[in-house]
Amino acid sequence: MRNIFTIIKKEFARFFKDKRMVITVLLPGLLIYILYSLMGSVFSGMGGVDEDYKPTACVINAPLPVSSSLSLAFAVSNEAMTEEDAKQKIKDGTLDVLVIFPEDFSLEIGETQQNVKVFYNLAKDNSSYGYQLMTAFLNAMNKTAFTVNFGDEQYNLADDSSMAVKMMSMIVPMLMFALLASACIAVAPESIAGEKERGTMATMLITPVNRVEIALGKIISLSCFALISGISSFVGVILSLPKLMDGALNLTEIPYGAGEYFMIFGLIVSIVLVIISAFSVLSALAKSVKEAGTLITPLMMVIILMGMASMVVSSPSVWLNLIPLLGSGLAISSIMSLTASPLGVGLAVLSNIIAAALLVVLLAFMFKSEKIMFKK
Amino acid sequence: MFLICLTLNYLFNIIYVTAGAKMTEILKVENLKKSFTLSKKQQKIERTNLKVKVAVNDLSFTAYKGEIFGLLGPNGAGKTTTLRMLATLIKPDSGNAFIDGKSIITEEKEVRRKIGFLTSELKLEDFFTPNYLFGFFSELYGVDKTVAAQRKQSLFSKFGIDRFAEVKLANLSTGMKQKVSLVISIVHNPDLIIFDEPTNGLDVLTAKVVTDFLEELRAEGKTIILSTHIFSLVEKLCDRVGIIINGKLTALDTLSNITAEKNLEDTFFELYEKTTGEKL
Repeated sequence: MRNIFTIIKKEFARFFKDKRMVITVLLPGLLIYILYSLMGSVFSGMGGVDEDYKPTACVINAPLPVSSSLSLAFAVSNEAMTEEDAKQKIKDGTLDVLVIFPEDFSLEIGETQQNVKVFYNLAKDNSSYGYQLMTAFLNAMNKTAFTVNFGDEQYNLADDSSMAVKMMSMIVPMLMFALLASACIAVAPESIAGEKERGTMATMLITPVNRVEIALGKIISLSCFALISGISSFVGVILSLPKLMDGALNLTEIPYGAGEYFMIFGLIVSIVLVIISAFSVLSALAKSVKEAGTLITPLMMVIILMGMASMVVSSPSVWLNLIPLLGSGLAISSIMSLTASPLGVGLAVLSNIIAAALLVVLLAFMFKSEKIMFKK
Repeated sequence: MFLICLTLNYLFNIIYVTAGAKMTEILKVENLKKSFTLSKKQQKIERTNLKVKVAVNDLSFTAYKGEIFGLLGPNGAGKTTTLRMLATLIKPDSGNAFIDGKSIITEEKEVRRKIGFLTSELKLEDFFTPNYLFGFFSELYGVDKTVAAQRKQSLFSKFGIDRFAEVKLANLSTGMKQKVSLVISIVHNPDLIIFDEPTNGLDVLTAKVVTDFLEELRAEGKTIILSTHIFSLVEKLCDRVGIIINGKLTALDTLSNITAEKNLEDTFFELYEKTTGEKL
């Protein structure tokens, strides 16, 4: 028993005297708090619809009190249209919701169950928002008197292709950033901090090779490894998505062509360059691979959040593409939703390349610094 | 007998100095100074309240072509710091050194081409084979492929590395690894070779191979700066010696001039006591 206590005491002394170890243990909690708080803000703002937006609605057979109440929250169309016309407009995105009340609809509980039909398009942000608002509105009424969207009828009017595009535009940027960052964290610390730790970096630094060349050589090769790893994980995840989403996503319905794939590839290459360069800079600051991992983890979380930015920012300005990584997330989302402009994608790639170049220069300076490279 | 020794010593000095005058100066160290800021942890280890430690203090010496110059001193005396400055790994606070006329401060790349540096601090990636590493460093030093191939054959055969040329470093013995490190450090056939404790941790056989090779290099006209704390190594190899204690050069001369009638060990301890005031 005494020995156990002695060992416990020694382990506690080892733990609390090593500041890095304390930080490593406590950091995840802090990061989870920050990340979840940010994610909360992200998801509460999801949908990409302005708060002031009033969804357009076509209402059929609505009793007068309901109709007048609806007009408070919706821009109710006065245009006379058939059910089919309205559905087509929803598919086109010119109308957000179609609400069909049963004839002789009553708010009193009757003998037969009344069903209110709400048609919408999940692939369109405005329509999706309109549907949410409409169901909330109907639920606030006497819900026991009727059901909403009861039965097997297809109320979501989005076709498979639009749904696939919508899902891909939301999932792909976040997924891509997470996978690429994971691929980069697997290679960068080992190559930079690992070489420093093992003393092999100094052997290279006493050769007449320019430090910028060493930095570039490392970053280009590491980017290639990360690219291969990232793309292979990405393809694996995309192929498994239909099964993961239980048939909600049909890959054969994805309408992307060579142009989209080319733009995506260009963005991926430039994203990897930035992430590898940033991770390499942090690795150069670290004395060991373990320390590099600790330094990189917060940045990795920020990068994953940047991939989620497209869920929050609706109709982003093209100039937002000039922000490295963030702009790329938005650009990938726009490519996936088939709304990309070559200028936006070009600016995103350009900003990444400039950021990566600056980081390479910084890394070269760090390789020259004896305080960074040789401090014990 | 004493008079005969003194006369012989005097004659030797005259011959050496006369020859020295004709010798080509390859390394000129001028008032090198380097200090380090101590962290609280380091202050605790060094048992000092000083925030700055002067590692090398106003060091000056010259080395000539074809000589083995020994830097002798206890651990922490500033030998390694001096060598690291000469190898351009770190910059001096003040002073300068010139290797074949090239400044270690302003002409780092040229200096790196002219020197070979072997120290336990510089390691080779043990994932690779001697063959691969020789090729890799030959390319970094810009050695012509044909020249590199010839040089590799000659050096590998001299050190018995050829049998292990395709074996990963991780699987080699400590002695063989040291031989590979030695060979890689001179891949570009430098004129000045800096060896920091080259026989540390080696078995007697490997240590002999290394010391014999240093003599061969001298015979080829190469200059060797040898840092060590092993007296016998200095006595065996060095033409001239600089004794460095607490960052200062306390003696600089031929071995016979420094030791006079005593042995090197006694002379060194006398100097140490005189310089530091510590009684050993």
